[in-house]
Amino acid sequence: MRARYTDGRAAVSQEAECGIGQDAVTIRVNDSTHVWAYHELARADDGNGRIVFKRKADTGERLTFEPDAKDVLKAVAPNLFTPRAQGVESPRVVVGVLAAAWGVAAAFLIGIPMSAQPIAGVVPAPYRAQIADISWSQVNAFTEYCDDSDEAARILNEMAHRIMARSNVPHRDEIWITVVDAPFPNAFALPDNSIIVTDDLIQLAGHPDELTGVIAHEIAHIERNHVMTNIIRQMGAGIFFDVVFGGAGAGQAIAVASVNLAGLRYSRGDEEEADARGLDYLDAAGIDTGGLARLFERFRELHEEHGGEVPTLLSSHPATPARTAAARARSRQGLAPSLSDRDWRVVRQACGGSAAPAVED
Amino acid sequence: MTVEAAPAQSFSHTGRFFDVLGLALKNAGLTVVTLTLYRFWARTAMRRRLWSRAWVMGDPLEYTGSAWELVRGFLIALPTFFLPWIFVAYIAPLVMNPITAAWLGFGFWVLLVPLIAAARYWMRRYQLSRTRWRGIRMGLAGSAWSFAAASWGWWVLQVLSLGWYTPAARMNRAKLMWENTRFGDQPFEFADDGESPQKGLWGPFALGWFAFPIAYMASIFVVVMVFASLGMSGVFTPTPAGETPTEPNAVAIFAMIVSFGFAFLFTMLLCWAPYNAASMNRIAGLLSLDGARFRLRTKTFPLFFVTLTGWLISIFSLGLLAPVGGFLQVRYVMNRLEIIGTPKFAEMGQPVIEGPRSGESLGDAFDLDMGVGVI
Repeated sequence: MRARYTDGRAAVSQEAECGIGQDAVTIRVNDSTHVWAYHELARADDGNGRIVFKRKADTGERLTFEPDAKDVLKAVAPNLFTPRAQGVESPRVVVGVLAAAWGVAAAFLIGIPMSAQPIAGVVPAPYRAQIADISWSQVNAFTEYCDDSDEAARILNEMAHRIMARSNVPHRDEIWITVVDAPFPNAFALPDNSIIVTDDLIQLAGHPDELTGVIAHEIAHIERNHVMTNIIRQMGAGIFFDVVFGGAGAGQAIAVASVNLAGLRYSRGDEEEADARGLDYLDAAGIDTGGLARLFERFRELHEEHGGEVPTLLSSHPATPARTAAARARSRQGLAPSLSDRDWRVVRQACGGSAAPAVED
Repeated sequence: MTVEAAPAQSFSHTGRFFDVLGLALKNAGLTVVTLTLYRFWARTAMRRRLWSRAWVMGDPLEYTGSAWELVRGFLIALPTFFLPWIFVAYIAPLVMNPITAAWLGFGFWVLLVPLIAAARYWMRRYQLSRTRWRGIRMGLAGSAWSFAAASWGWWVLQVLSLGWYTPAARMNRAKLMWENTRFGDQPFEFADDGESPQKGLWGPFALGWFAFPIAYMASIFVVVMVFASLGMSGVFTPTPAGETPTEPNAVAIFAMIVSFGFAFLFTMLLCWAPYNAASMNRIAGLLSLDGARFRLRTKTFPLFFVTLTGWLISIFSLGLLAPVGGFLQVRYVMNRLEIIGTPKFAEMGQPVIEGPRSGESLGDAFDLDMGVGVI
């Protein structure tokens, strides 16, 4: 059988006469003879028509047959005509890559969330302050500090400290509530243990216990270190996305968003934990948890009325029926409001808000 | 006896669109389900396919790289590039003084310019070392860091000259790259034909430099007018009869932004196609191997359509079918490349320079070759 042979020492090919044996091909070129055993060979052509053999230990030698030699060669060396011989990886490799990919994904996307809380607990104070500065810059970009809110903030902080003292919340001296003017009803905790309450949330609340319920919930987030935990969790996801997906920058966007206002969202588990702990605070302080249930109900009605146009507090604190029911289940009648009528009026008037209606029973 | 007939066209690419598309679809599917880890096998398979369809004087090229080499390169890039990058991108903004972190980030991005140039060089070195023709290996000598430093200097000059140094920079890079390229033990030469290397480039470059902003602004105007007329006719915001729509809806805004993007792509490729065709032809025209010269005959509009098609395939497939776009460009160029004269192949042996043991590392991180390669 005729073929062409290149010796790997010069870029020329020579006519060769090949003897096709059962175990090997014998190549006669000019005065020299080479014997290539089939099991020592690999394909070099990727099915481009002609059939090219090379030695597995690549010496640069090539033996090229015309396409019509396929049947003869395939009969004696079928292993050189399998997909694998032509460079297609085995199913075992594909399964291995699949397993490795999802293993790495699991390590990041499960391992990082699981280890996020311990890591968050050891973030040094200066770094925490630095992260808080970034969050504050976002708060300042979207809200305005109110000159007339000092008295309201004092009242809310006194109320919060009363609650925390009853439940012996650690680091309670570091927690500080600030009232801001913002075009959306929301409350959220920052990495430096600040709690931001917007004037729209205050206006939305029909009773001081409703507002107190939200603040108790935010205090629980701080006590359980959910803010930093969430940041660590999102950073892990961001790094995973960037490294595995080739540094496209999407991961960095996630990480940056995690320290921005829009990223201050918690996992469902964090929310449930903060709910339960917040209700504990209210119970211990003798405050009716029904207020929080009424606020959830109010948000749900607003959401229905506006067809999903109330994205702020609802997006980070979804008012699900289960949460409403949990707060209502622990409600006790006949308890005094968490703020006096006078204090509630002062709080309501923060940031130029309207005077408070009479405290509801 | 050699079988070097003298074909009218010395280079050709016999890759078929649907053959390459089929492989690209398989690669895309496996790349998605493996969270992109399959990309090393995908690249290798695509390169084997494309190389084996590239014919030079009657014999095909051969790609001998393996996916595991690419994996090894990626694992090397993890600590050497990704860890510093994670610090700069994620950690520094949170734990450092904002100004210091910003300077660190800026410095990192400035360093990226030479780093990308070096990565391109390493990538080319790896791919050439895994490319054989008639059993003889190719290679790339020289220092990647020297290339990166020179490339960085030219980049600075490009910036300072508002782009007008670009033709010179492009030819400088090509000269440095090709003079270090080897076929076996034979170096390519970047010939001095007595003319400026940028001969024939300044006109097309000036055309691109002036025409692109004008064409883009004109296309923006057209897009705005089209959307305004569609908006006035109520296509985007159905309004009751007798009422005039007041605000564009989100669909209209999104469609307009997308139209701006496509207008940018279309005008950029169209306005710069003459320059790209001229510079590719000029670079090929200056190359020689053992006295044999090369000639490339790319033309503006075919190159524009091939490039645009490649981009559109890449965009609409979210990058997953980018190699198909790369293949179209490769096939177009290969089929228009000729060699004038015949090098003394019988005297060309294997190269003395060794190829790298691992794959492209940073080239993969920066995705420098659309998954296709230097071919």
